[in-house]
Amino acid sequence: MEVQEIIKNLKVQIVEQLNLEEVKPEDIDANAPLFGDGLGLDSIDALELIVLLEKNYEIKIQDPKEAKAIFTSVQTMADYVASKMK
Amino acid sequence: MLNRIHITGMGIISAIGNSVEETFQSLNACKTGIGKIHHLKTRHRDDFLVGEIPFSNVQLAEMAESQVFDRTTLLGLIAAQQALINARIGDMKEARTGFISSTTVAGMPHSELLYKDFFENRYQGNFIDSHFSGVSTNVIASHLGIEDHVTTISTACSSAANAIMLGARLIRNGILDRVLVGGVDALSLFTLNGFNTLLILDKEWCKPFDDQRKGLNLGEGAAYLMLESEKMVKSSSKKSLALLTGYSNTNDAFHQTASSPEGQGACLAMQKALKIASLEPSQIDYINAHGTGTPNNDSSEGIAMQTVFGSKVPAFSSTKAYTGHTLAAAASIEAVISILSLQHNTIFPCLNREHQMTDLTICPVDTLQNDVALQHVMSNSFGFGGNCSSLIFSKN
Amino acid sequence: MEAFINGATCISHHNTVDETFFFEGCSPFAPSPFLKVAPFEHKNYIPSAMSRRASHILKMGITAGMMTLERAGIKSPDAIVVGTGMGCFEDTDKFLRALVDNEEQLLTPTSFIQSTHNSVAGQIALLTKCQGHNFTYVHQNNSFESALLDALMLLKEGEAQQVLVGGIDELNAPLQELFERAGHIKAAEDLKELLWESTSKGSVAGEGAAFFNLSKKRNANSLAKIRGVKTIQKTNSGEELLEMALEFLSELAIKKSEIDLVLSGRSGDVEKDLKLKEFESRLNIPLAYFKPLCGEYFTSGAFALWLGTSIIKKQLVPGCIPSDQTKPNSLRNILIVNHHSDELYSLICVSAC
Repeated sequence: MEVQEIIKNLKVQIVEQLNLEEVKPEDIDANAPLFGDGLGLDSIDALELIVLLEKNYEIKIQDPKEAKAIFTSVQTMADYVASKMK
Repeated sequence: MLNRIHITGMGIISAIGNSVEETFQSLNACKTGIGKIHHLKTRHRDDFLVGEIPFSNVQLAEMAESQVFDRTTLLGLIAAQQALINARIGDMKEARTGFISSTTVAGMPHSELLYKDFFENRYQGNFIDSHFSGVSTNVIASHLGIEDHVTTISTACSSAANAIMLGARLIRNGILDRVLVGGVDALSLFTLNGFNTLLILDKEWCKPFDDQRKGLNLGEGAAYLMLESEKMVKSSSKKSLALLTGYSNTNDAFHQTASSPEGQGACLAMQKALKIASLEPSQIDYINAHGTGTPNNDSSEGIAMQTVFGSKVPAFSSTKAYTGHTLAAAASIEAVISILSLQHNTIFPCLNREHQMTDLTICPVDTLQNDVALQHVMSNSFGFGGNCSSLIFSKN
Repeated sequence: MEAFINGATCISHHNTVDETFFFEGCSPFAPSPFLKVAPFEHKNYIPSAMSRRASHILKMGITAGMMTLERAGIKSPDAIVVGTGMGCFEDTDKFLRALVDNEEQLLTPTSFIQSTHNSVAGQIALLTKCQGHNFTYVHQNNSFESALLDALMLLKEGEAQQVLVGGIDELNAPLQELFERAGHIKAAEDLKELLWESTSKGSVAGEGAAFFNLSKKRNANSLAKIRGVKTIQKTNSGEELLEMALEFLSELAIKKSEIDLVLSGRSGDVEKDLKLKEFESRLNIPLAYFKPLCGEYFTSGAFALWLGTSIIKKQLVPGCIPSDQTKPNSLRNILIVNHHSDELYSLICVSAC
């Protein structure tokens, strides 16, 4: 799967999994930070994202500390997914 | 001058023993009750270690002399009966007697086994009437014959501290003469899997206050204390095991599950409990910390202790590595342990600890200390929803 | 132990959020055996980061709580005390269902966290930065009454000047199925009878949230005065219940003849209401029934307190739950008597201020 396609899918999956009521998938900037200023996600969302990757891509993140770098933005998530799928 | 609150009886069941005496023996031998899962039917049987009570529900029912099948109620019954015997109370009608219990899982250990079958029409029975939190309290109250004010508290992991605190306030407000207080939680798939989603379960023995701690071990159990007014104790020339001198509940108002880095709510709880007890921080001789072994709790609680006690933080330890984290029972189990510390002038050490926490200047007690003069002991309990409670027990 | 109610909000089957509405044109007959709450607006009270995760009970509870503070002109109370008989069942069901369906795999934390019984009290504390006393009572149909007792004690102790206290419970599809199959719900054909004249078994289930801001001090917003609350763990007969009620009133220094109205929590279950009926028949005080308006649920006592408060404020008993014996402009003292399935009873007394 191409990174661009993964980004598209991830946006939809994030909105659904986190029940982002007022956000449309296409409104998410792939390079904007997921936590803090950008999408405004928090530590509970980070745990949701770990399961999102496991459920949709069969990728298991074992160390919560590792998750921080992976979940910087949708782009970094997609890069990580792409690297695991190769 | 506030009416003094005496503790005249205690009952306890946990992974380290089925009586106050057995509990003391395990603690004094630095023996943990945490091990592999035997009774809880879970696919994570080999993934996690827990503080499980080594009896089946059938065995527990025999011990409790009850027909009840619900593990939460059975554990509660066993501990509550012990406390009444210990306090030498038989007739509930001779004084206004209340019962305040706390639980987070209530009927869940039973409901979760039937849930799927019920909604897929393979099970036609009724479990919902025994599911809700008040039921186990009611069954225990009716078994014991307690008919004055009875209620149930659920504030996550600080629940039992709040039950103990409420009991004292009910006596001081003249509503009850004596009250059985404490909490109970049985292990359940719900809580085991729930804490697993938060990635705060240690797969090995938990290491409270260790720099490399990974999380908590769940446990199960129940403990109750009989609180009596000064008047009750005087009129019966009863032995008072200890006094409950301080209590407080505050809210961190920071995050749904995590504690604030500086432990604001915890600071406030400890300070307010000291104020209720009319004690200076320097008068506290030992703190039985909440110390779950999660990175967040131990750091936040440690910093809060440093803030409240300054350069003179009392000796402290966590006993969660003995019993596991028993959630709504934790604060009452640790209340019993705190009173055992007072009675025996003994501090039960942290277990499994190797590395000093880098974000703290203080260090917990690591080896068993006998013959320490203990006059006032503080016990902390914190829970989800920012709930923070501190209790202070004192020698009579 | 007395306190003034200086703000109140009730989310119920009817549009009780609107303070100008008082059941005009409402019918005492239930349209269905499940009375869900009327739609309410939560957006002004719950930030979107919180609301995207919030279940029905959280939305009801936080909205009712925050609205009450707004009405009382309080930004942050000194203490928050909540009663809920069933807690956050929607989230409990969600997590439990995922757990059993996926055999303990691929579970996410949100519904587990939110299923905790003290979620509502904790989230109101977060929103109001209230670092004071924060208790949640979960003792079936004495959950709200236990919370109310705690609130009154806090005021008496001087631990708090402003206490937010409320009762909440939610209905949802799994609960409806659980209740129905346990035999607690009236058959559709039995809904043709008035609830207080019912000859059938079962009740009409309800849900709701009612919150109150309590203070020792009376102000221009004061709606009524709570005189006292009593939980009754066990009663053997209506006669004994009456004795307990008279003792309760005498402790409050109120004569029986001073009670102008009794709000009775008859559930409509012909068997389970027996003690309450016996109690009522020995009472000889004008009666009205509140469960046709809100349905049966563990914290219906909070609805009853809101209704009693509103009756005193408006000097009017809603037309759909008639109490022909009451004289207009004479409603000063109201006694609320409640039970659930003939297990646990409670008494609350509320007066004009």
